[in-house]
Amino acid sequence: MAALSIEGSRSSGQDVRSGNVTACVAIANIVKTSLGPVGLDKMLVDEVGDVTVTNDGATIIKQLEIEHPAGKVLAELAAQQDDEIGDGTTSVVIMAAELLRCANQLVLDKIHPTTVISGLRMAMRECVKCIKKELSTPTEKLGRDVLVNAAKTSLSSKILGTAESDLFANMAVDAVLQTKTIDDYSGKARYPLSSVHILKAQGKSAHESHILEGFALNAMGAAQGMPTYLKGVRIACLDIDLRRTKMKMGVSVLVNNPDEMQKMADRELDITKERIMAILNAGGNLILTTQGIDDTSLKYFVDAGVIACRRVPMKDMKRIAAMTGATLLTSFADLDGNETFEASMLGSADECVEERVRDDKLLLIKGGAKQRSNTVLLRGPNEIMCDEMARSFHDSTAVVKRVLENNAVVAGGGAVEVALSLHLENFALSISSREQIVVTEFADALLVIPKTLAMNAAQDASELLAKLRAKHAESPANKDWGLDLIEGQIRNNLEAGVVEPAISKVKSIQFATEAAITILRIDDLIRLEGENPNEALEG
Amino acid sequence: MAKGGVGAGSGAGALKRRDGSGVRTTQKSKDVRLSNITAAKGVADAVRTSLGPRGMDKMIEVKNGEVLITNDGATILQRMNVQHPAAKMLVDLSKSQDIEAGDGTTSVVVIAGALLSASLSLLDMGIHPTIISQGFQTALDKAVTVLSGMAVPVDLNDRETLLQAASTSLNSKVVSQYSSLLAPIAVDSVLRVKRADANSGGFSVDLNDVRTVKKVGGTIDDCELVDGLVLTQECARSAGGPTRISGAKVALCQFQISPPKTDVENSVVVQDYNSMDRILKEERQHLLQMVKKIKASGANVLLIQKSILRDAVTDLSLHFLAKVKIMVITDVERSEIEFISKSLGCTPVASVDALTADKLAKVDLVEEVTLSGEEKVVRLTGIQNAITPTSSILVRGSNNLVLDEAERSLHDALCVIRSLVRKQFMIAGGSAPEVEMAIKLAQYSKELSGMESHCVRAYADALEVVPYTLAENAGLSPVEIVTELRRRHALGEYNTGINVKKGRVTDILEENVKMPLLVIESAMRLATECVRLLLRIDDVVLCR
Repeated sequence: MAALSIEGSRSSGQDVRSGNVTACVAIANIVKTSLGPVGLDKMLVDEVGDVTVTNDGATIIKQLEIEHPAGKVLAELAAQQDDEIGDGTTSVVIMAAELLRCANQLVLDKIHPTTVISGLRMAMRECVKCIKKELSTPTEKLGRDVLVNAAKTSLSSKILGTAESDLFANMAVDAVLQTKTIDDYSGKARYPLSSVHILKAQGKSAHESHILEGFALNAMGAAQGMPTYLKGVRIACLDIDLRRTKMKMGVSVLVNNPDEMQKMADRELDITKERIMAILNAGGNLILTTQGIDDTSLKYFVDAGVIACRRVPMKDMKRIAAMTGATLLTSFADLDGNETFEASMLGSADECVEERVRDDKLLLIKGGAKQRSNTVLLRGPNEIMCDEMARSFHDSTAVVKRVLENNAVVAGGGAVEVALSLHLENFALSISSREQIVVTEFADALLVIPKTLAMNAAQDASELLAKLRAKHAESPANKDWGLDLIEGQIRNNLEAGVVEPAISKVKSIQFATEAAITILRIDDLIRLEGENPNEALEG
Repeated sequence: MAKGGVGAGSGAGALKRRDGSGVRTTQKSKDVRLSNITAAKGVADAVRTSLGPRGMDKMIEVKNGEVLITNDGATILQRMNVQHPAAKMLVDLSKSQDIEAGDGTTSVVVIAGALLSASLSLLDMGIHPTIISQGFQTALDKAVTVLSGMAVPVDLNDRETLLQAASTSLNSKVVSQYSSLLAPIAVDSVLRVKRADANSGGFSVDLNDVRTVKKVGGTIDDCELVDGLVLTQECARSAGGPTRISGAKVALCQFQISPPKTDVENSVVVQDYNSMDRILKEERQHLLQMVKKIKASGANVLLIQKSILRDAVTDLSLHFLAKVKIMVITDVERSEIEFISKSLGCTPVASVDALTADKLAKVDLVEEVTLSGEEKVVRLTGIQNAITPTSSILVRGSNNLVLDEAERSLHDALCVIRSLVRKQFMIAGGSAPEVEMAIKLAQYSKELSGMESHCVRAYADALEVVPYTLAENAGLSPVEIVTELRRRHALGEYNTGINVKKGRVTDILEENVKMPLLVIESAMRLATECVRLLLRIDDVVLCR
């Protein structure tokens, strides 16, 4: 083969494939021990010294600085699973790496990569079909319990796991159910997770986390004299600066008469005053703005006995506007060119309380006219724990959302993988081409999940797995049997309440196979060291 | 050194040719040719493994750490940043194939590489380069007639056949498992924009009329052909304006709805406090007048071009527009204006005073939709009177790597359909045409005499590299496959090709593996011409 005249290095064939696979397996080994209810956490320290303690595969991999290009593909896979499902990131990475390892072995055994690829794809399709047809259980008849159980399963591997899982699972279910919105045009129910309001507050034990009724705003009345409690709240949501009105750039003030100067200063204040008065006259008693309020302007609010908050985050403001039916205003101008404020722009809520959490004061807005809203208040001994709690909680809300949207669950604890593995072994016998070997390998690779689960729990992986496989082989009705990692036994996990959304398994098998195929298909790696790679692009 | 070569051609050089420098010149030109051919072959070898439905991918890592995984020959070569001038010619070759036919960019390079190898051995035999070049041209002419003989006409109304052609192109790509989804998108979008060409009586397709819009998020499953127009810009909602309007009248604005700025040197001078109010009020009035004019024209959706000098919209103008229930989409790029204007059938308006009812486009529904993955796009459906039909394809992918590859693959598929519209003939895929050409050319070479016959023969043999590579990439035994193919073709079964799915040699037309005649024809022409050019070079002169 002739040499290629490029600036850089090029490697091809089996070297590249083995290199890629090694890189991926190395990454999977990092997250391997964090899988499952008895999995452990990782402490990640970045170059600044910031510490993250987490069990979430996506977070771990995001923090790693991966240099190997194939490793980056795997990292993207984790991110993809995180975006689409929000949970199961660790298992998808472990599975992809295991598939790659097996596939590479097959290639070394002189099976052509294209055969391996088509075999993998065949096995994946069969798995997805099997999960959808045989392994999943519809949730319609299972009710709220299944949601709580799914949330619990997701939480079980996390820091919120064992002791507090009841508390948090219920909180997660409540929080997601709260967000239910019916799409105006399509009529479908949606659960936008972005509207689950999570507030982290350091201090107190995790047990004391709870759901606060109402929307908690991390802000308080801008001045001391403002009331701390209001009933029959009329809310004005503004995106307007309530400070002294300044002239625009390009307007210069030229004063001949000193009196005029004073008048101008007064006028600057008065323009703002007129605006404030317009709101107060319309009946507003809780005024929120995303921008600033001058101290001089604050006195009008104090005099009127209303609460005014400045620098409210835009995201919170939108939520409050949606909740109370207020119109988020960017200007007071009306269609006649004057400035007015109408009462119809105000939103309403039952009450507004200033509450103290730790050293901070929160403003709770309760009983919005349009939607009820709750706030999840997470407590923990330190910031690192609070962060991890928020991540875990987010994962479990994502799981609840998936169950609600797809209405199907599968048993967890390795049950699905073992069932699929057995199914594939039978399926392999029906293939009379070279793909048969690949499908069998796929079946073996699936077992990496129960194996790792058992290993992390310090159980005898081989024995447990043998028991479980025997149980599954006994009768197809035993499909929900999985591992009980605390007791080191096997049990019916569907009855024990260890469930995962079916879609999460389907996606993770699809993603893992896709990633494995993407990496296997590569037979050439070209690293460029040229001055400006973009030049080649344009030229 | 170079002088010696130049001198040999001039009158005075006639004498010199007999001395030592003449010998050296021949030697030198041999070296130059050899170095060129080796460099070019290196490039061809680099992409060889990515040929065909079971071809492998290349991973290219550029200096800044960005990784690219692709199967598209043109993309691989462009990104590879080759240095050798002759190798660069091969890169250009695949680019021209990309422009001409859009697909077959790997094949063209592989064929060129094979022809170069063939010419090397011909040169070794002492055949003069110009004769080889001549012989290749003769072979090419014959090959093209063979191809036309094999081709089957296509009816553009036969959607099924077009789908098959698009799938054949997509099957070799990274996104092959989505070919059942992407093929109909490609076919429908091209057929929608095809236009009768008055000059030739046929049809023409301008791929500028097909817009692919990329948006990260979701999976390739979410790709779709949009009936109408898709804009990646979100609609301005800060002031609470509408995000869905049915029975829309769309205005395409190239003016700004913001207060005019004074020049840098000028300034507005305020001398008493009353004028402060007047300034504020004047600004409101100014914007209000604009908004009222817009409202009066009947427009209820505004697409506003991005502006650098002035704010395209201000908070205040958005507030007014929201009050009169006009939907606003800002940040429309200058380059998008033409496409939007022709697909919606509206005239871009450069001043608010010029905005009249006849410049608006009537659209049934304009709405902002949230895609899976929380991204938003604005969709305009039910366009009433477009100037020219256009189509918009929304491409989704979970990350930029996948997204870019999906777009490249889709582009190839679009080109395939375009080639079919331009030249309505199809030919079997799976390397059937290459084998058929090889067989026919070998027969033809027997009718010729002298060195030409030898060259045509070598050309024929070189073509067999395509079936050979295809079989090799698919994990089949190349020698077995190629000999079997020869046998079947000799029996007259000229549609026999490699069936990669079954791993055997079968009638490939029955398997519906088809490609446009234009693709293979242009690949043959371009590859041969490129090789002829390379052969004729006998010196490399470095100059500043």
